[in-house]
Amino acid sequence: MANIVCSSVDKQYGAVDVITDFNLDVADHEFIVFLGPSGCGKSTLLRMIAGLEDISGGTVSIGGRTVNDLPPRDRGVAMVFQNYALYPHMTIYDNIAFGLKRMKVPKAEIDTRIRAVAATLGLEPYLTRKPTELSGGQQQRVAIARAMIKTPRVFLFDEPLSNLDAKLRNHMRVEIARLHQKLKTTTIYVTHDQLEAMTLADRIVLMKGGAIEQVGTPAEIYERPRTLFVAGFIGTPNMNFIDVTTEKTEGGWLLRSAGGNFSISDGKFALRHGQPLVLGIRPADLKIAEAGANRMSGIADLVEFHGNDALVTFLFAGKEIGALVKASACPKPGDAVTFAVEPEGLHLFDRESGISLLKS
Amino acid sequence: MKQKNSLPAVFLTPAMGILAVLALVPTAYAIYISFQNRELSRPDGSLIGLANYIDLFSDRRFINAIGVSLTWEAVTVGMTLLIAVGLGILLFECVSPRTRNLLALLFLVPVILPRVSAAFVWKFAFHPLYGIATYPYKAITGQPLDLLSNPATALATVALVDVWQWGLFFAVIVLKLLETLPPQPFEAARLDHARTWEIYAFIALPMLKAPLISLAFVKMIESLRAFDLIYVMTRGGPGIATETLDMYAFSQGFIESGRISYASSMAVLMMIATSIAFTFIWKRVQ
Repeated sequence: MANIVCSSVDKQYGAVDVITDFNLDVADHEFIVFLGPSGCGKSTLLRMIAGLEDISGGTVSIGGRTVNDLPPRDRGVAMVFQNYALYPHMTIYDNIAFGLKRMKVPKAEIDTRIRAVAATLGLEPYLTRKPTELSGGQQQRVAIARAMIKTPRVFLFDEPLSNLDAKLRNHMRVEIARLHQKLKTTTIYVTHDQLEAMTLADRIVLMKGGAIEQVGTPAEIYERPRTLFVAGFIGTPNMNFIDVTTEKTEGGWLLRSAGGNFSISDGKFALRHGQPLVLGIRPADLKIAEAGANRMSGIADLVEFHGNDALVTFLFAGKEIGALVKASACPKPGDAVTFAVEPEGLHLFDRESGISLLKS
Repeated sequence: MKQKNSLPAVFLTPAMGILAVLALVPTAYAIYISFQNRELSRPDGSLIGLANYIDLFSDRRFINAIGVSLTWEAVTVGMTLLIAVGLGILLFECVSPRTRNLLALLFLVPVILPRVSAAFVWKFAFHPLYGIATYPYKAITGQPLDLLSNPATALATVALVDVWQWGLFFAVIVLKLLETLPPQPFEAARLDHARTWEIYAFIALPMLKAPLISLAFVKMIESLRAFDLIYVMTRGGPGIATETLDMYAFSQGFIESGRISYASSMAVLMMIATSIAFTFIWKRVQ
């Protein structure tokens, strides 16, 4: 078990900066998820921690020891790859045993440990088969077994579920969560899937363009997004954004938009008069209402049935706004609709910098 | 439909016809005259059954030639693959992709050279008085070094030229094969406590098993046809130290005694032996 500290980590490929000034403390036993769109540097960072990529600047330490110049095998990490990376010419047994053999673990002990790991992951029937004879989910389980058996200090997962179909992905996600509950090994998990991030993580590190946008628990990131990017990236369906301008009123603020006005009380946000802002509202925070403050009206344009809920899209202030309503009470396309939003459901961001104006 | 079915036959017939005339007829004729006592100096001959074949097994020069041929196969195939794998891995591990391509181009030059030319170049390089390869030895010891005239070193020296031509070429192939392998299993192995040599020994080379076996087969067949190289460099000498089976058959048939039937029987035996050997190895490998 070990903590991980990244301080001022940089990565350059030639003249291109991939990661700039990355700082992060991962506590012992913690499950950290690096989340972000493709090309944000999350996999590169993971590979730098693993030792598969050189670190251009800064230091990475695992368990209090700087590992910048250590080869991967001496870092005490185990990694699970997106495409499994099993050794194709070896049986499943030999795949799992490979690392232990290299560590000169006695044969009898290797066998006991493999039986135990195979039992945990339900791999016993497949030990004599070759990787190509297994399904994707089974192969990924072998890869996890291969990582687990070395009892590493740190687990690294590089988009391990991206190659699996949706149903299997859910199943494996639960298995990984259970495994972490049981082993409590410090884990860094890279994904672009926000559902995986939200369900697995103790803390999410949301990245964009090689830098951290926000670090926080899934609830913090969902409820108090620090930037416009985080607000737009997290949450399905996506948050609605409306351009507004502030106006000071008695005991509060008026937010003027092209489609209508919203009023908020003093205290929650740090605002100036006449400030251009972006107002963010999650579709789930919009409720069908005929009366009350902060209403938005329009003509229902598209109704998408999601099962329990339905997503109603309507035009407001020249923008398509989505609202999540109970499927039983959902309007038909062409109906006039009015939604209201509670003050807690309003997020405000500076239009220039994209930074949240929420007072901390 | 009927026309479509006859199309392959139309295209195949000329090629098969030429093949039959050029390859099958001489082969069949060689088998036929191997049962006779024909000599180049006499126009006639008569059937003598298996006498030539029986004589072969009491011919010490023939037994020696078998030994030389087997040694030649083992040394050239083994060394070529060893050099190819070693050099290929070295290039893959230590050289940048740009330099790699440049070196690959350079390594292709020897094999492009016709073997007769290569043989002459190296024969001169090994010349005891003027050769560049033997010059350092002469400069240090003051004695000339005649590798090609020494029965102990002659075969190895000729093999060196063969390995120089093919080992470098195969090294390029091995390099390109390594480049096509997916990188993830290597990375997984690096995390699995494997040292660099272990990654190649346990991961990369086993993953390349099939193409490497194919390369070995190509080289085995190629080594059988090294007549021109040996002919130019040593003519089977000194004595019979580098006399392979084909070299001995050639000198029996055309150079020394003109015993064309005796030479044919040797050729037929070689054909049978190689067919059996290759079939056996091929089956084993599969």
